[in-house]
Amino acid sequence: MKKINDRQRTFLMITIPILILFFCFNTLPLIKGVIYSFTNFKGYGSYDWVGIRNYIDLFQDSRVGKSYLFTFKLAVVATIIVNVLSLILALGLNSKIKFKSTLRGLYFIPNILGALVVGYIFNYFFTYILPEFSKMIGGSGDSILASTKWAWVAIVLVCAWQSIAMNTIIYISGLQTVPEDVYEAGSIDGATGFAKFKNLTFPLILPFFTINMVLCMKNFLMVFDQIMALTKGGPAQSTESISYLIYNNGMSGGQFGFQSANAVIFFIVIVVISIFQMNFLGNKEEQL
Amino acid sequence: MKKYGEKVNWPITILLILGLITVAFPLYMTIMIAFKQPSEMTNNIHGILSFPKSWSLENFKEAMRVTDFWNSLGNSIFITLLTVVVSILIHSLIGYAIGRNKDHSKFYKISYLYIVSGMFVPFAILMMPLVKQTAQIGLDNMAGVIILYVVFYMPMNVLLYTGYLKNIPIALEEAAKVDGASTWRTYWSIIFPLMKPMHATVAVLTALGTWNDVMTPLVIMSGSGKNTLPLAQLNFQTQFGTNYNLAFASYLLAMLPILIFYIICQKQILSGVVNGAVK
Amino acid sequence: MKRKKVKALLFTGMLAVSALLAGCSKDKDMDGKTVIELVQYKPEAVEIFENLAQEFNSTHEDIYLKVESPNDAMTILKTRFIREDYPDIIGIGGDINYSYFVDSEILADISDYEGLKKIKQAYIDILEGLEFVPTDGIYGVPYVANAAGVLYNRQMFQEHGWQIPKTWDELMQLCEQIKNAGIQPFYFGFKDTWTCLAPWNALAVDLAPSDVCKQVNRGDTTFKKEYSEIPDKMLSLLQYGQNSPFAYGYNDACIAFARGEAAMFTIGSYAVPQIKSGNPELDIDSFVMPGSNQAEENVLNSGVDLQFCITKECKNKEAAYKVLDFLLSHDMVQMYLDEQMAVPCVNEQFQLASILDGMKEYIEEGRMYDYQDHYYPSEMAVDAQIQTFLIEKDVDKFLEKFDRDWLRYNRDIIQKVKDYEKSQGK
Repeated sequence: MKKINDRQRTFLMITIPILILFFCFNTLPLIKGVIYSFTNFKGYGSYDWVGIRNYIDLFQDSRVGKSYLFTFKLAVVATIIVNVLSLILALGLNSKIKFKSTLRGLYFIPNILGALVVGYIFNYFFTYILPEFSKMIGGSGDSILASTKWAWVAIVLVCAWQSIAMNTIIYISGLQTVPEDVYEAGSIDGATGFAKFKNLTFPLILPFFTINMVLCMKNFLMVFDQIMALTKGGPAQSTESISYLIYNNGMSGGQFGFQSANAVIFFIVIVVISIFQMNFLGNKEEQL
Repeated sequence: MKKYGEKVNWPITILLILGLITVAFPLYMTIMIAFKQPSEMTNNIHGILSFPKSWSLENFKEAMRVTDFWNSLGNSIFITLLTVVVSILIHSLIGYAIGRNKDHSKFYKISYLYIVSGMFVPFAILMMPLVKQTAQIGLDNMAGVIILYVVFYMPMNVLLYTGYLKNIPIALEEAAKVDGASTWRTYWSIIFPLMKPMHATVAVLTALGTWNDVMTPLVIMSGSGKNTLPLAQLNFQTQFGTNYNLAFASYLLAMLPILIFYIICQKQILSGVVNGAVK
Repeated sequence: MKRKKVKALLFTGMLAVSALLAGCSKDKDMDGKTVIELVQYKPEAVEIFENLAQEFNSTHEDIYLKVESPNDAMTILKTRFIREDYPDIIGIGGDINYSYFVDSEILADISDYEGLKKIKQAYIDILEGLEFVPTDGIYGVPYVANAAGVLYNRQMFQEHGWQIPKTWDELMQLCEQIKNAGIQPFYFGFKDTWTCLAPWNALAVDLAPSDVCKQVNRGDTTFKKEYSEIPDKMLSLLQYGQNSPFAYGYNDACIAFARGEAAMFTIGSYAVPQIKSGNPELDIDSFVMPGSNQAEENVLNSGVDLQFCITKECKNKEAAYKVLDFLLSHDMVQMYLDEQMAVPCVNEQFQLASILDGMKEYIEEGRMYDYQDHYYPSEMAVDAQIQTFLIEKDVDKFLEKFDRDWLRYNRDIIQKVKDYEKSQGK
């Protein structure tokens, strides 16, 4: 009996200080942020309580609304593109090819580079190089970063360029868990090509699909560095992501209280989506 | 695997090699521009993508001077290294405590959910209060940045460690307990070494995240006169706005350390990432 | 195995201790001297300030001047204010941030400072005008101003015999002339939204009352009424710009202008160092944006580019004043002007940079008004709204949104103004 108490005491002595640390630098500032969301605080100086005015404003603010629409559009499209492409890439890299490990290594490179610097490089590419290519094939030669219709596509491309690497690796590790005899059984039934993938492979890597969907969605919903480096929210405020708006107006602008309210709502939205995704995909996994 | 016949699938190999252009092109472009002089940059593709007239290191020297390269590099390494070491020590401990208890204790179950849900808190909402808080307790410096990273990566790493712990049979500990070893001793002598593959994963994922981060050092360390490598890039944007060659030399310099590190430790990094996914 | 771990721990501990020590020893080596910390926000003036500090420290025994010019200085200043870590002197622009700082009571009243007598009254008035509600004190020493309008390639103008336009119609004719000569009249960097504000401000001082924002805050008028002419004229300018003006940023526009790809550039004098870095030989001159067809209505757009404020927390105001005395001395101002091609706020004779030739008479006569955007709250993102308008080209929608947003973003300020007026009325 005494032994167990000792063990429990050790566990508590480990857990409690770390929980306190976590509370101090994560929960405490979160609570403070929630409190600020009920003020007109600029970040410095004096401030007044304004009740739920910030929240009321939030739901009437077309700029905030637009930023939510944009962020979701970006996240959904990028998540789909990234998952489709990385699944294809993973199937390729997992088949019987030459230079397998070298190729895998090279395809992973985009993931280790900093998003800010990658954004700067692509900014140059979209402004100076892509228009020249488009001129060569008879296009107008306009930069897609200058178009309110297409700038978001450029951001999707840069996000995808970096994230495909990570997702591919996760899918490859998933594919490696598929036991060989599944395929053998399948080939006796005459399953080939896409049918084989759909009926045999995909159900088995569904857990990895779940991880990738949740990770992708969460990362893309918080997109910031790419926006900062590529468009700074332009042209015509068409690419303002939620995080960008919170940083830009809350930190550099004088809207800290209002943007805190925005961040609170954003936090809730992210939690709801993630729980929904995990439940939905989790149920699917169990059905199989 | 070999059962399927030894034939190499050449069409796919070739397709995959061709696909590498998408990875290589931006890097190629960066290198070409970084070595050129402004006068060589004519306004057409040829002017931008052709080889430079001479492979001079002038741009790099200048870029290193402006970004105070060696100091920034040193700060980046210092922050990343310490974050990784502290994360491994602390996160594995808490992961152990929670992982061993969360199935039968409500307290640990709640602690687990509490920490892991921290993953969904957007940094934006924490930023301003954190700036104030770190300054009040004298942590508006590199030490503060490291502590913040340790807290930010805790949710992900705790998830990884508790997941991995399921693979380590509790019987191992019980054997040690019979020998009279305390839980604390048992952990450091048996469990901690056994979690080595997960340490590698945590190290890789934490390091990749901290190395490239701009926001945290920007808001916490500002005014301390110290830069990290990405922070120095931000500096560069305004000071040499009109000279793309210099800017690209500096981008290349910023990417180089991690690229070299990746080339050396590629195997460990990839397997670390895979472990994180399979958990 | 175990040994390794101990080593790692020791190493870590050592690093941590050394980091702490480094943090502590920061300000101690200035044996007995008063340290004055100056943070300034202009990244292009880093070297000048380094020189100034060196000069100061070699001539002053008892004071040590420490200058910092961080990147993204405004954000950094604000984060330092958040953590209540105030520098002694801040060098900032005369814009809405200054208004916020005054309103937040961060700055010290320096009306007892002798050096203020040297400053041109017009600029002190500009700063006064930036305060949301009038105060008794003075909170900044204007140092240099900038001027915005149109920069032009003087050599190109001389070769073709083009004349400087005095009215809007003349400007439009000039653009046609330039276009017919096969040259691009303007090059815009509208990808960086703030550059949209340069022509906007220059037109606004000609076409709208200088205190329009305050009038609106009092509820006397609307922007739709006062700004009615400006949007159409912006669109007219846009016609004479390069293809896809929204694809290129400020730096791109500076390079293009430096290379002679356009004859004119609607920007302020502050862009000249940047342009010259692309082509040091370029002969640039400027003229006042002729927004109106009545030549006498056209005035220069000039505002305080750099001013020095002392924070309330400054422990040694006397020492800070000494630093200001030094900065305001004739030679130092002249050095700054030579480097940055700025307009002095000090009321003495200075050698002005040749790029200001076309604006000189306006400067000397004081025919100038402050930038309108110095009154716009930054979170309202007027620059992005102008960019949106230039893309969509819908004047009514733009101005109506402007009025609507203005009331929302300035709600607290308007309330403050109302309270103030009420208290004055009694």
